[in-house]
Amino acid sequence: MSPTTLPSAVVTPEQIETGNSLWHDAWSRLRKNRLAVCGGATLLVLALLCAFGPFFTQSYQDQNLDLGASGPSAAHWLGTDTLGRDLFSRILFGGRISMMVGLVATFVALAIGVTYGAVAGFFGGKIDAVMMRIVDIMYALPFTIFVILLMVFFGRNIFLLFFAIGAVEWLTMARIVRGQIISIKKMEYIEAARALGLGKRRIIFRHMIPNILGPIIVYTTLTIPAVMLLEAFLSFLGLGVQPPMSSWGVLIKDGAEKMEEFWWLLVFPGGVFSLTLFSLNFLGDGLRDALDVRSSKD
Amino acid sequence: MSEPILQLNDVKTHFPITRGFLVKRHIGTVKAVDGVNLTVRRGEVLGLVGESGCGKSTLARTILQLVPTTGGTVVLNGRNLATSSARELLAARRDLQMVFQDPYASLNPRMTVFATLAEPLLVHRVCAPADVAARVAELMRLVGLAPRFMQKYPHEFSGGQRQRIAIARALALEPKVIVADEPVSALDVSIQAQILNLLAQLTKKMNLTLIFIAHDLSVVKHISDRVAVMYLGKIVELGLAADVIERPRHPYTRALVSAIPTPNPDTERTRQRIVLAGDPPSPINPPAGCAFHPRCAYAQAQCKLAAPPLVDDGPTREVACVRLADLP
Repeated sequence: MSPTTLPSAVVTPEQIETGNSLWHDAWSRLRKNRLAVCGGATLLVLALLCAFGPFFTQSYQDQNLDLGASGPSAAHWLGTDTLGRDLFSRILFGGRISMMVGLVATFVALAIGVTYGAVAGFFGGKIDAVMMRIVDIMYALPFTIFVILLMVFFGRNIFLLFFAIGAVEWLTMARIVRGQIISIKKMEYIEAARALGLGKRRIIFRHMIPNILGPIIVYTTLTIPAVMLLEAFLSFLGLGVQPPMSSWGVLIKDGAEKMEEFWWLLVFPGGVFSLTLFSLNFLGDGLRDALDVRSSKD
Repeated sequence: MSEPILQLNDVKTHFPITRGFLVKRHIGTVKAVDGVNLTVRRGEVLGLVGESGCGKSTLARTILQLVPTTGGTVVLNGRNLATSSARELLAARRDLQMVFQDPYASLNPRMTVFATLAEPLLVHRVCAPADVAARVAELMRLVGLAPRFMQKYPHEFSGGQRQRIAIARALALEPKVIVADEPVSALDVSIQAQILNLLAQLTKKMNLTLIFIAHDLSVVKHISDRVAVMYLGKIVELGLAADVIERPRHPYTRALVSAIPTPNPDTERTRQRIVLAGDPPSPINPPAGCAFHPRCAYAQAQCKLAAPPLVDDGPTREVACVRLADLP
């Protein structure tokens, strides 16, 4: 419904000047933040490596039992695990799973949390009270038991894992969004929108949510590492990804068991995982600063 | 005199104060607007003045139905908005629009001028999507903005320009009545006159009815045909702008008018200010009888008994004061 066509015929003599949106300003601020840019670039490289790397490297599941666990060498850059599988390709392949969990589960959390929080905050009163008490109750449920139950009932399924993590992570997002919505609910541009007779849905999604995207984006970048850690934790418990597939969580778990004899099995997956988390946190930090309205022009 | 377009009958807007978790206890009521009677005629500019906290803005929001009305009727073109269905209210909003106080807060910072002005046109289907751009350009010219700025964002404009955008948005639906809630008080003094003149000009040109809210009588005097003075949720005096300001009747209006500085240094030196003692009383717990009596120089025992109604004082004037006849 948003009109995007440029009214060139109407304003023939003058050239329409396009403005710098707040996004544009935020982007130019972000670009000046070297740490955030490095974080973003690192993430991009890692994502590309994980996405396309496994096509070019050795198989992640071919075993070479004669070789066993061997340290880094020319044939296996990061060494092999106890079954003789190439660690480098296992890390790249595991990265696919970890990143996918990070993105999908975060997206699920985002979609549920933003809508739920916005509705609770916008309507307020009893609706808000009931909705937020439900959130409180869900917070109180032990997450591991919830996931174990899901896995027992529906079997071990990677998409179920995405859903389970997303279904837990949206709670904090809902609280954040609700608070933000309440804080802008009394802004005059929202009253103006109501005075114009715009519908509730339009006010929430066109006028409110775009104005609280800053905190949402920042919290999203913090949710992704949290979700990846959760997946690692679940895999560590044996509830997540099953062999021969791998994820960073699984690799770290295996490495931790054997770190006294075969250090590389822990150091390399752990290093890559830490690098990703650092990058996400730096990027999130940079985004928070860049999107802060107080640092904008006026 | 032209026919009435907007009538407020005993309009009340109260906000409950509650305390307690889960079980809410009602511990009081803020009577922001408490029994306002007002008839606004087509084509007039009605100034509404009063000090901060007297309920001016709440009255504006009540007229627009942005806050729920506690009692009374708000009748626009014969239709009571306070009891209208959502659909009727939506239709009424085409005739009734508002300009807000702070142009820095009243424009969505994520929307271009074009998106801001096009939205009401599209939502109310005022014009075909193909004509929206032409209409937006027309609106911008109407308020003195160059249409080439239509793809810019609010933060790229000055305060005065933003208020022009807000006025254009209010005009987009070609309303009959506009409520302007202190539209110039957030602006630089040098810009205030421009916006006032624009509003006055548009009112004439488009035959608008304007309810102009301010806390500054000199601003109101400049633009209004009639002036209503509010004190603690009620109207205490109503009359032609020149009359009210030259010859105020109600003791509160007298105090307000005496506070207007005059540009002539000689008269300014001898100007007698009526300084009111104390603060305005709390709208949670207003004084019995006339709300103004604790600060009024003419108050007597009878003032504490009942709130005085607005009564005619000559053909064009209404004043709410029981001691009107005795006042000097």
